[in-house]
Amino acid sequence: MRNIRLIARLDIKGLNLIKGINLEGLRVIGSPNEHALRYYQQGADELIYIDSVASLYGRNHLGGVISAAAKNIFVPMTVGGGICSVDNATEILRSGADKVAVNTAAVSNPRLITDIAECFGSQCMVLHVEAKLVGPDRWEVYTNNGRERTGLDVVSWVKQGVELGAGEILLTSVDREGTRKGFDVALVKAVSAIVNVPVIASGGMGHPDDLVEVVNEGGADAVAMADILHYNRASIGEIRSTAKNAGLGVRYYE
Amino acid sequence: MKKNLIRLYNLPEKVKFCKKCTISNQRPRITFDANGVCSACNYNEFKRNNIDWKIREAELHTLCEKHRKVNGEYDVIVPCSGGKDGSFVAHQLKYHYGMNPLAVTWAPLKATKIGRQNLDAFIASGFSHIMGTPNPLVTRKLTNLSFKHLGDPFQPFIYGQTNFPLHMAVKHNVQLIMYGENGEVEYGGDMKNALRPTRDIQDHDSHYFSGLPPEFWIEHGVSMIDLYPFMAPKFEDIVKNRTEIHFLGYYKMWDPQENYYYCHENTGFNANIERSEGTYSKYASLDDEIDGFHYYLAYIKFGMGRTTSDTAHEIRDGKITRDEGVALVKRYDHEAPKRYYREFLDFCSITDEEVNEVIDSWRSDHIWLQENGEWKLRFAIWEDQ
Repeated sequence: MRNIRLIARLDIKGLNLIKGINLEGLRVIGSPNEHALRYYQQGADELIYIDSVASLYGRNHLGGVISAAAKNIFVPMTVGGGICSVDNATEILRSGADKVAVNTAAVSNPRLITDIAECFGSQCMVLHVEAKLVGPDRWEVYTNNGRERTGLDVVSWVKQGVELGAGEILLTSVDREGTRKGFDVALVKAVSAIVNVPVIASGGMGHPDDLVEVVNEGGADAVAMADILHYNRASIGEIRSTAKNAGLGVRYYE
Repeated sequence: MKKNLIRLYNLPEKVKFCKKCTISNQRPRITFDANGVCSACNYNEFKRNNIDWKIREAELHTLCEKHRKVNGEYDVIVPCSGGKDGSFVAHQLKYHYGMNPLAVTWAPLKATKIGRQNLDAFIASGFSHIMGTPNPLVTRKLTNLSFKHLGDPFQPFIYGQTNFPLHMAVKHNVQLIMYGENGEVEYGGDMKNALRPTRDIQDHDSHYFSGLPPEFWIEHGVSMIDLYPFMAPKFEDIVKNRTEIHFLGYYKMWDPQENYYYCHENTGFNANIERSEGTYSKYASLDDEIDGFHYYLAYIKFGMGRTTSDTAHEIRDGKITRDEGVALVKRYDHEAPKRYYREFLDFCSITDEEVNEVIDSWRSDHIWLQENGEWKLRFAIWEDQ
């Protein structure tokens, strides 16, 4: 049985850890490093850092945050936000990231997915998809932190992304993000059904039970959590116990 | 005919940007201090450091005490579109201060779906509500006229937004009207009310109607019957009712972003599915298909569009830095509204050519220059050192 990965997601703006609702109204939560360290110590399997406004402002500022984190955090780190070239990716990986996540730039230049995968391997190239429900079982790809529509269908875009070399999908539901209403299980199911690479469900985790649902019914391989951790509504330890009690495989952690 | 903006709005001839935010001295009535900081930033600084909010909270309790009724009548009018700000005011007054508010909405010129959904969700969260809807044919006519003559299609809405709550106050024997923030004070303008919770009805003409009240349009062939719903109640009736207009922003630290969180939780408010044209945000001013043109014309007239207003207050509220604000202004401020462009033309019964003619008539030489057939800002904030 595969282990479900518990991932803490940190959205960053400038020097701050932030959080929104539907990716809007970005509230300053605190210092990224303090939170990252806390999640690492609680037993997070991985961390995801997203510079949520990088594409909006045309920049990526995470190098410093990542190299600081790499000194005392020893789980895989995925970093995204504003990465629009192999050079950007190289820089981020050199700062200590293990994988890069690409959304906006991949939409405008799908070739970038292949370039990054060829340079660093598919396992390093995470396709980040911001998905918005637009009809019954139909989702549209959004960019720029859930602000711009693209007209692309999520399922076909993911399929194309994997063909181009993406080794993992970070799937953010714009509708559920920050709402605590549970994951968009149908979205995760629609995507996990058509690809053979891991899918990380992101957006909407209101309660540890939501994780069980998105894994059992949506087929998620990992969950990214933010609001539930940032606002101390549950610890990773509690979430791990809930998963274990529901019969899910999770990494053994003392 | 080319308009003289400098004279009409009493604007400085040389464009200067605030050192702290993204506003320039072209915002009507704003003032700059000797350090090049705008009055809105100074007020914000003052508000954060010098106001004892506990005292203000006590003042609010006293005010509510004074107006609270026990006979079942409404005791406060809350003007509210169903957006995050008015909904916050109404919900706070009802559920935290035990008031019995009547929420009133002046109909948008042309309502959006998301705006209507949010208004319905707000009402459903537990409010008595009255919608004021003027004859849409008259609204369209006034929108056309105000776009052509004032360079702003929004004036008919602003009439109703300002006057309808007064009507409702008089009609329902309610003495207190509670708005959210005082835009003049928070965003830069006449600062005479910075230390007062209220505003004077006498200022409505100059602050909200560009000196042209609804009656002005009689000379453009609109009848008294058609204008009536847009007009204020008789001044003596307002006075006789002992009507007071207050701002919650005087009593409580005003933070639009926190209102978003509050209303998402309490009044079923949702952000839009994509950002609004001309800016990066997707949670503010969502209810009218026409408002993109209001902001765009402000961009033409003053060189400052919707992104400038949004970034300026977000900088003051500590949500973004000035550098981020400048980057956003560069990216979105110039964006012309396209999403509802056809609807706008139909609504106003005007042509493409007429729209362009109006727009160009409001381009002042002290703001714009033409280079290779393209209009360019003479002073852009991202080029400013």
